[in-house]
Amino acid sequence: MRERTDIEDMIVQVGLGDRAAFSALYDATSAKLFGVCLRVLNNRAEAEDTLQDAFVKVWQKADRYSVNGNSPMTWLITLARNAAIDKLRARKAGSVDIDAVHDLSDGSPTPEGAAIAASERKRLMGCLDELEADRSDAVRRAYLDGDSYKELAERFDVPLNTMRTWLRRSLLKLKDCLSR
Amino acid sequence: MSTQEDHSDDIALAGEYVLRLLDDVERRAFEARMANDAHLRDLVRDWESQLAPLADDIAPVTPPAAVKARLQTVLFPDAKPRRGKLWAWVSGGLVAASLVVGALLLGPLLDPDIGTAPTFVASVSAEDGSLVVLASFVAETNTLELSREAGAALPGRVLELWLIAEGAEAPVSLGVLPETPTTRIDVPQTLAGQMAGGALAISDEPPGGSPTGAPTGAVLAVGPITDA
Repeated sequence: MRERTDIEDMIVQVGLGDRAAFSALYDATSAKLFGVCLRVLNNRAEAEDTLQDAFVKVWQKADRYSVNGNSPMTWLITLARNAAIDKLRARKAGSVDIDAVHDLSDGSPTPEGAAIAASERKRLMGCLDELEADRSDAVRRAYLDGDSYKELAERFDVPLNTMRTWLRRSLLKLKDCLSR
Repeated sequence: MSTQEDHSDDIALAGEYVLRLLDDVERRAFEARMANDAHLRDLVRDWESQLAPLADDIAPVTPPAAVKARLQTVLFPDAKPRRGKLWAWVSGGLVAASLVVGALLLGPLLDPDIGTAPTFVASVSAEDGSLVVLASFVAETNTLELSREAGAALPGRVLELWLIAEGAEAPVSLGVLPETPTTRIDVPQTLAGQMAGGALAISDEPPGGSPTGAPTGAVLAVGPITDA
């Protein structure tokens, strides 16, 4: 798989309007981002639409990529995840719940994962482990599945305000730990 | 509220923002503040990068090639049709990644005892060299000479050759390649006129060739048609 710097270079080139770089960036990262969309949406057709939306944003925003200073994969994953959660919320705002479709993975999770430093991962996992199990689970569900406060409150069977207080406290604990 | 509490509140708020837990009103208010507050932007960036390792466990899944084709159409409607069609057709991570385009060392390798000089040539190749077919088109006779330098059809399958003409809606079959390494194909006049600027590709198909008139199996190799 590609090195982090390669992906960074591609994003910079895309920011200059380089279509070939955009094609290469798509080839290098679309599988990971499609995985993210599928995880959140659990629906292949919606995930395909969302992946397309996310890459439209990549094309439009690549020139501003360096402004916020995140690593290239973090930037891309954040774009895809946000697009997927927006889609999820739009779906749930409608009345019909679409049958979940679980997709089999056709790749191992490791290659792009290497783009994010292993030490950062270790630190996050360590800090999540310091939270009570259901609280760290809530953070994971919010991030990976796009759960809302309402859904989290139902899942953990607590009032919505309690859920929010829990989660905000968990975030502060997490930040304390991550800053150590 | 003390400055400390204020700060804690913003840390939690930024985390909720990154997790997409704020409702629409809160989110818009937060974004309005963020536009003028570098510190808030930093908090958001830090949360994004600190939470991103959660995505490590998500396995990559190759999206269907059609997504890239649609994306191309949406973003680059002005793109030259040939490029768009070719890209759309052969895209899809694995296939696209394994292809190499380029006509290298063609002239000297092609059968020298053909009397007439070729007009166009193409190296239809897979990147890993698992399939290499050299093509040479003689416009005077509308014949396409093919020489399979490496690779063969899979057991029980055949290799089918396609012309992707510049601006064409879809690839057009030039026929199934025989088991012999060299062959000569008579190209219909209408297709012969479409060689320039096009590309040749080879797909994996069932015996007898694609039943649909369009490639049904993997695109194994592709190469642009260039002036000889």
